[in-house]
Amino acid sequence: MVLAASLLSANVGLVVWFTVVFLALLLILRKYAWGPITSALSEREETIATSMNRAEEALAESRRIQESNAQIRREAEQDAQRLLREAREEAQNLRDQQVQRTREEIAGLREQAQEEIERDKERALQTLRSEVVDLAILAAEKVLQENLDASRQHALVDRFIDELGTEAGPQASSYQA
Amino acid sequence: MHPIHCLTCLLCSVALLSPLNTFAADEDEFDAVHHTADAYYLDFLPIGKVELPRIFVVRSELTGYSLRTYWSTKSALRSGEMHPDLHTETHGNDHADLDELIASGKHLDATLVPDEGSVVVDFSITKHLMFGLLASGILLTIFLQLANRYKRGIGRTSAPRGLFQNLFETLVVFVRDDIAIPNLGKQHHQRFLPYLLTAFFFILTCNLLGLVPFGATATSNLNITAVLAAFTFILTQVNGSKDHWRHVFWPPGMPIPVKLLLIPTEIMGLFTKPIALAIRLFANLTAGHLVILSLIGMIFTFTQLFGEVAGSGVVPVSLAFTLFVMFLEILIAFIQAYIFTILSALFIGMAIADHSHSEAH
Repeated sequence: MVLAASLLSANVGLVVWFTVVFLALLLILRKYAWGPITSALSEREETIATSMNRAEEALAESRRIQESNAQIRREAEQDAQRLLREAREEAQNLRDQQVQRTREEIAGLREQAQEEIERDKERALQTLRSEVVDLAILAAEKVLQENLDASRQHALVDRFIDELGTEAGPQASSYQA
Repeated sequence: MHPIHCLTCLLCSVALLSPLNTFAADEDEFDAVHHTADAYYLDFLPIGKVELPRIFVVRSELTGYSLRTYWSTKSALRSGEMHPDLHTETHGNDHADLDELIASGKHLDATLVPDEGSVVVDFSITKHLMFGLLASGILLTIFLQLANRYKRGIGRTSAPRGLFQNLFETLVVFVRDDIAIPNLGKQHHQRFLPYLLTAFFFILTCNLLGLVPFGATATSNLNITAVLAAFTFILTQVNGSKDHWRHVFWPPGMPIPVKLLLIPTEIMGLFTKPIALAIRLFANLTAGHLVILSLIGMIFTFTQLFGEVAGSGVVPVSLAFTLFVMFLEILIAFIQAYIFTILSALFIGMAIADHSHSEAH
């Protein structure tokens, strides 16, 4: 008996059947399975790639911002320090000026007071001198008991005072005493 | 049960059932080739055989072309329209002879001829076609479901979930990134990826179906591997670039005598590539089965030749080797699917390449 099927037998019917089956399988899978699956896979890969890129960009961006923040802070600190220094110098200057002015004022006041004292002393001397003249006249009158006339007395006293003026004060006062 | 245990049970049952099947078919002697070859029935021993429909296109002087369909070989024979082509016996309408033939089961191995005229094409459904269909059904079930998940957004906008999706996604990505893109390039791979994926998963499924109980390997049929290789061949030639054809018919950079020598070689090369694809797949899958069946057959051969003691003695050796070859077969199932797909991609990639001739070849 001849075997209907052996390992190497050609079978045209099977070839036709199988071509139809495989072609149908290929077309159905291509349309309804491989299409959606591969598109989903590539879409997912793209999403992952872009989100990773975006994350990296965000990281770089945040680094940049951090850097600029640090820069700004450094500048602000420097500004603050500079302001503080300036303010301190300003205050120092002001104080120095104040002190200078006060000193000058004090000096002016002292001068004024000196002058006033000088003036008062002058006035007092003047008063004292006239008082002394009167007193001397009175005393001389008393001494001389009206021996001399008034004009001679005055001339005498004036001479005395002139002498007194040219000689030292204490001499005059001792003289008076 | 643990998956490993399942696998072990599966392997043992295959190892035990396969030879029994073979023996039932031929009670007098062991025939590994008969079991590996295509057939017009499905063997579900010990339950029984399921005969497959027979379809013939018959041409006769009287009626011209006609289509004859029968639910089984048995009914084809009983109809009286078809006869077993028995060279030694006379063509007869002897019902007693026919009943005896059907009872012995040998009618399934007979070539059927019509009462008059001849069979033009035998469109009968065979075991390997059934397993090709089964593989197609499995692929459709798996990948339409998988595609559905992606359509729903799982794996598209979110991470893939679950063993099912992750397992098959890994394989799909493997075919794309390790087979298609390296051989076809980034721009062209999408055009051929559906074919490569279908071929890979179809061959893999067919290969693995040969390892389950009652299974048969569609890819151990030369007709089927030839169709697969023909798909690669047609895709290669249809998409061949101008460079591809120039290389075949007027190889550049050669003296004329060398060209004349090269042209027939190149033309032959166009056909040897797919032929090698078909034979490689067929031979690898057939060989694995023949080895397994022969190792199991050792038990029966030893029993027949040296008695039952020797037969029992060889059982552990035979089973150990069978188990080893089974594991090898699992490996081969994957390797051959990979090789067929990567070579297809390579051939297509070579044909579509549009390279300038200043490059070294």
